[in-house]
Amino acid sequence: MAQHTLEVLVENSPGVLARVAGLFSRRAYNIERLSVGPTADPSISQMDIVVNLEGHALEQVIAQLDKLINVISIKEIVPNKTAPSVHDTQPDYQN
Amino acid sequence: MSQMTGASSLVASLESAGVDVMFGIPGGAILPAYDPIFSSSIRHILVRHEQGAGHAATGYAQVTGRVGVCIATSGPGATNLVTPLADAAMDSVPVVAITGQVPSVAIGTDAFQEADIRGITMPFAKHNYLITNPADIPRAIAEAFHIASTGRPGPVLVDIAKDALQAMTDFKYPTSVNLAGYKPKLVPDNQAILDAAALITQSSKPVFYVGGGVIKANASRELLELAQLLGAPVVTTLMARGAFPDSHPLNLGMPGMHGTVAAVTALQKADLLITLGARFDDRVTGKLSTFAVNAKVIHADVDPAEIGKNRFADVAVLGDLKNTISALIPALKAALGKNQPDLTPWLRQMNSLKAAYPLGYDKPSDGALSPQYVIERLGKISGPEAIFAAGVGQHQMWASQFVSYENPRTWLNSGGLGTMGYAVPAAMGAKVGAPDTTVWAIDGDGCFQMTNQELVTCALNNIPIKVAIINNESLGMVRQWQTLFYEGRYSNTSLESKRVPNFPMLAEAMGCVGLSCEREEDVDATIEKAMGINDQPVVIDFRVHRDAMVWPMVAAGASNDDIKIARETAPDWDSQEL
Repeated sequence: MAQHTLEVLVENSPGVLARVAGLFSRRAYNIERLSVGPTADPSISQMDIVVNLEGHALEQVIAQLDKLINVISIKEIVPNKTAPSVHDTQPDYQN
Repeated sequence: MSQMTGASSLVASLESAGVDVMFGIPGGAILPAYDPIFSSSIRHILVRHEQGAGHAATGYAQVTGRVGVCIATSGPGATNLVTPLADAAMDSVPVVAITGQVPSVAIGTDAFQEADIRGITMPFAKHNYLITNPADIPRAIAEAFHIASTGRPGPVLVDIAKDALQAMTDFKYPTSVNLAGYKPKLVPDNQAILDAAALITQSSKPVFYVGGGVIKANASRELLELAQLLGAPVVTTLMARGAFPDSHPLNLGMPGMHGTVAAVTALQKADLLITLGARFDDRVTGKLSTFAVNAKVIHADVDPAEIGKNRFADVAVLGDLKNTISALIPALKAALGKNQPDLTPWLRQMNSLKAAYPLGYDKPSDGALSPQYVIERLGKISGPEAIFAAGVGQHQMWASQFVSYENPRTWLNSGGLGTMGYAVPAAMGAKVGAPDTTVWAIDGDGCFQMTNQELVTCALNNIPIKVAIINNESLGMVRQWQTLFYEGRYSNTSLESKRVPNFPMLAEAMGCVGLSCEREEDVDATIEKAMGINDQPVVIDFRVHRDAMVWPMVAAGASNDDIKIARETAPDWDSQEL
């Protein structure tokens, strides 16, 4: 199964890591790798989440993540591309 | 802008949010807030258990469409709200819970009555806050009400440290809320509407699969127009009872585990499910891989994560259902003008099933009172405007089946979480929201013993609800499963509630009128007596037959094709043209 990286912009507020990690846990999805860092805007952090998911499961994770109020946007880095293209998997979804 | 304590800022914020009533119990950490509550215009109803406050807020919200508010102290006060908040999340009810927290310097020290209620509610709350700076209180309250009531409604918790309530702050209530990560899409895309209309005109066996979202969106009138425009059958899920009139000829009733044969079969045999605010819950679909295998799916919902969660949607329509259905009506009119499918054979099949397999029940041969009869009479005598709140179990299913619901927001129950004990406090909240309407709690003897303490609250606060205890001296639904799947080994389901407690005496002790009824010929007179008492809560102990079962039934995990209308009795499919 291909690894996918989700670039998630979140509000830099207490508890946001717990919200994201908890969502993966309670919906029974694994996180392969996770890193959190600042962005140019101090009120916004970026989480890079690597998951071993695709298809329906990946769409569900993105849709559920998107429901978290502190999650501002989610982008999926498409694997196996020389120049990683970035696309928004849920153009019609909220945010 | 004016200087005041954080506590006064909280109460002023709640007033600014339009709160007229809240349900709660004070305690140490929330105590500063109770001082300004004492002089506030907001009515505070002092409940007897925080769980009652939470369900009352839910009942109030479900009846009025407004946000229900509950308030509790830190630690056990807050954890007692967990069940009703989880309940509100599962049934998409707009509730705001305010909790006191230990002072910010004590957070994380295992202080007296400290519990991390933000962490505890994180898995199910739509959102939650921990406020330690009094300046953040008005914004948090404004955001909480906005989040709870918009998009897919849900519970929001605001936990406020005691020192933030005590400190002085400036009060300024925000005039608008702007959340970067929360912008529910309310207006559906035009292309999705056109695609949905086109798919509908290609269908010869369409069904409206209507869920609770239609009620949340106040879209019943629009649904009626849409259903009549197409002339297709309608099924209303447990959460959608009342969204479409039961008396309407297109209504096939409730689908699911205890649904009607017609409603279950309509979904199974359809070639198109027009899904409006429903979520393909396992209690509706049965074994998912065998659910409606030949149907295409239009899925309209305000929550993008529901679309495609359990069942692939051929056409996804994301938006508020009132907007969606309003847009679909002219689009469908135009599409039907070009291509009008003939639904006559499909309707004839469904009406034939509806006629062959109406909901019914056998009366006990020993002359004992039939629980279904009691519930049927409650519905008939109380009329279509009355509000019914049920607990969870057999009586809940019978209350859904044998009361005819004609109006939205007249049927309240715990559909998703299945919370025993929901009925009495939810009925209390409903009566506060609709004081001029008859409100019945139809409760089981098991459920009633979980939350009946709120009858004291009702008696003392002029909240004259009526309670019908369907007393079969058992945890009836569990007993039914033991009968069907555990060889009649009735492990721990006998409550002996015809011996202890004496429900009428218990009711009287709590300031209510207590009545009892165990003969069919006394049912009407007893209900009418209760209907005549409007200055006090009334409790009727209906002592009913123990072995009545809920039918039809699709066993858990089974296919809807294996619906049974009685024990080991399937519908006579060979006589049906399907």
